[in-house]
Amino acid sequence: MAENSENGKPGNPIRRAWNWFWTPTAVLSAGFVLIAGFLGGIMFWGGFHWTLELTNTEEFCTSCHTMETNLAEYRTTIHYSNHSGVRAICSDCHVPHEWQHKLKAKIMAVKDVYHEVVGTISTPEKYEAHRGDMAAVVWRKMKLSDSRECRNCHNFKYMDFTIQETRAAAEHQRALDENLTCIDCHQGIAHDLAPGYQERYREVVEELQASNALPVAPSEDVAAIRSYVADLAE
Amino acid sequence: MIGILDLLGTVGGNILSFPGILGLALGMMTRNWILAAAMGGAVGVAETFLFAGFKLAEVQMIDLAIAALVGVLASSVGCAIRHKGATV
Repeated sequence: MAENSENGKPGNPIRRAWNWFWTPTAVLSAGFVLIAGFLGGIMFWGGFHWTLELTNTEEFCTSCHTMETNLAEYRTTIHYSNHSGVRAICSDCHVPHEWQHKLKAKIMAVKDVYHEVVGTISTPEKYEAHRGDMAAVVWRKMKLSDSRECRNCHNFKYMDFTIQETRAAAEHQRALDENLTCIDCHQGIAHDLAPGYQERYREVVEELQASNALPVAPSEDVAAIRSYVADLAE
Repeated sequence: MIGILDLLGTVGGNILSFPGILGLALGMMTRNWILAAAMGGAVGVAETFLFAGFKLAEVQMIDLAIAALVGVLASSVGCAIRHKGATV
């Protein structure tokens, strides 16, 4: 197999490797191959997951020049520094926890590398020119997912409206009643907003409503709260 | 309308999820191409419903189609591996 049978010269290395790869093993038992494959699989999957988690770190996210502006803005917010010492880093808000959504987000994030390379937002002027568009992309994602990433930490179920500020409690109650989602009110929670952002946000919502992309049913926690309140009323 | 980036992300996510991995494994368990494709497609459909919490209203048709297609392709590749790499 290692030599060309016609002229006796060694064959193409790629061809030889291909043939070796597909030749049935004569020295290994099925159990050996299974156990070795299982261990190899664990090592591969562990390494894959570990690498994926490395791309979730703040250091990784902000290692690009273009991320300096939003990093500086984020560092002035309550999600960076607060009385409780709990920090939400980039991936907490921008990377879903669920496997299928996380992988999709990671693959889509390749566009960030592309824009870093071509310098789409490499200067403050360019950044400001694109600020509204970048925000609109994130708003659209959050509105579509019912602010899924916010709800990894914040949940109506865990909120005690009685110890919230009066205005916050009233607005959260309104959000429950009107089936609103976090991003409907909390735009700019971690980054500065572009001028005219409210009109832009309205455009995003209207576009989603026009395409019937928005969920019509309340989220599970909202439905559970409504059910609980209805039981209390009875 | 799904964007190109959305499409690529959905396909990639499915390749590294149930349809891609389990589909490939199921395909490697048979030499029958039709059975392999059917099992892969079924995994894709099942995964979409599983991740939607078995709520029909939350199932996006485009996600369902992509998951089923990835499942069929992965299980077909698995079946090809069975043909090429096994004598039984």
